[in-house]
Amino acid sequence: MAAKDSPLKQFEIDPISNIELGGYNISFTNSSFAMLITVLVITLFLTLTVNTRSIIPSRMQLISELMYNFIAQLLSDTVGDNGKRYFPFVFSLFMFVLIGNMVGMIPYQFTFTSHIIVTFALAAVVFIGVTILGFINHGIKFFTFFYIPGVPFYMHPLLIPIEVISYLSRPISLSVRLFANMLAGHTLLKVFAGFVVSMPFFTGVFPLAFIVALTGLEILIAFLQAYVFAILTCLYINDAYHLH
Amino acid sequence: MPQLNPEFFVSQLFWLAVFFTFLFVFLWRVSLPRIATVLEKRQNKIDENLSSAKELQEQAMEIEKKINDQINKAKLETDEKIKKTINALQENVSSQLSSLDKDLEKKVSDAEKEILKSKNDQMKNINNQIVNITKLTVGKITDIELSDNELNKVIETHKGNFN
Repeated sequence: MAAKDSPLKQFEIDPISNIELGGYNISFTNSSFAMLITVLVITLFLTLTVNTRSIIPSRMQLISELMYNFIAQLLSDTVGDNGKRYFPFVFSLFMFVLIGNMVGMIPYQFTFTSHIIVTFALAAVVFIGVTILGFINHGIKFFTFFYIPGVPFYMHPLLIPIEVISYLSRPISLSVRLFANMLAGHTLLKVFAGFVVSMPFFTGVFPLAFIVALTGLEILIAFLQAYVFAILTCLYINDAYHLH
Repeated sequence: MPQLNPEFFVSQLFWLAVFFTFLFVFLWRVSLPRIATVLEKRQNKIDENLSSAKELQEQAMEIEKKINDQINKAKLETDEKIKKTINALQENVSSQLSSLDKDLEKKVSDAEKEILKSKNDQMKNINNQIVNITKLTVGKITDIELSDNELNKVIETHKGNFN
């Protein structure tokens, strides 16, 4: 399917070194490399900028603190005091998706968030974690989550299946949202990049200008999708604490 | 679409698990506590500064109150002193005035006495003159020699007519 100049070629996975473990292919690929870069960028940035621990922050330290406060605020707004203990997880998730998206915006760099298996794995972790959390907090009562109070009784046979399906589709919607956004954006960029080369004379300037604008938009989307991923995770955690 | 090719699913999941777990543990154990420490330190510092500012403000207000009290006290004291001085001056003036009045009265009465005395003297003198003149005149006109006593008696009896 992926021909030589296909816009989807950028999503192909190339192994950098072939590794096999227990019969499974766990090769270190360009996708793994992008994850490595992402993790390095996050850990180094958050460690080095706060290294001095100065009371009056440098600009870089301020960025780290802003990110910290941004997610802390998000959690306390949506979940409240219960949310504090999930802060490291939500923060890691946000930073991982955000920097993963941003690393993907570097030309020729692989975007691991454009792979459904990766986003689905992240969403599944959230979904399973939140479900377990719900059962820990409410036990068997957690099933009342699917029961909507204040609705005529004859509506329940219809509403409860809908609620169950909507609950079960959470990991799918969460992962597909991120995956589709990244896929569409990068494909569009690639398509217009093809136009720049193939258009006659100077008309290629127009798709080039479009690419510049689109790159700005993609950076916005990169942030937005990370934010959406984080805030939905917060909302799901909140649901695990407060049933209807 | 390369995303749907299951060839590298296991690899992707494996490395995702490795890197995300590492990231999570690292942030949880190292980075986030650091940032939290800094933020806490700053908050403490701000609180400290605020409380010390409040304390200083209170102290300043106390000092201001003290100053005002002292100013009021000083005012009262000066008022008292001024009053006292005025009273003392008035007393002094009135006593001096009264002593002056006494002096003057004494002088006036002295002068009156003097005047009276000199008047009496003059009267005596005039009497003597009258006696002498009368003696001379009577002696010249007549040859009667009048004694001073006789003349005085006459003058005494007619004194009321002269005045």
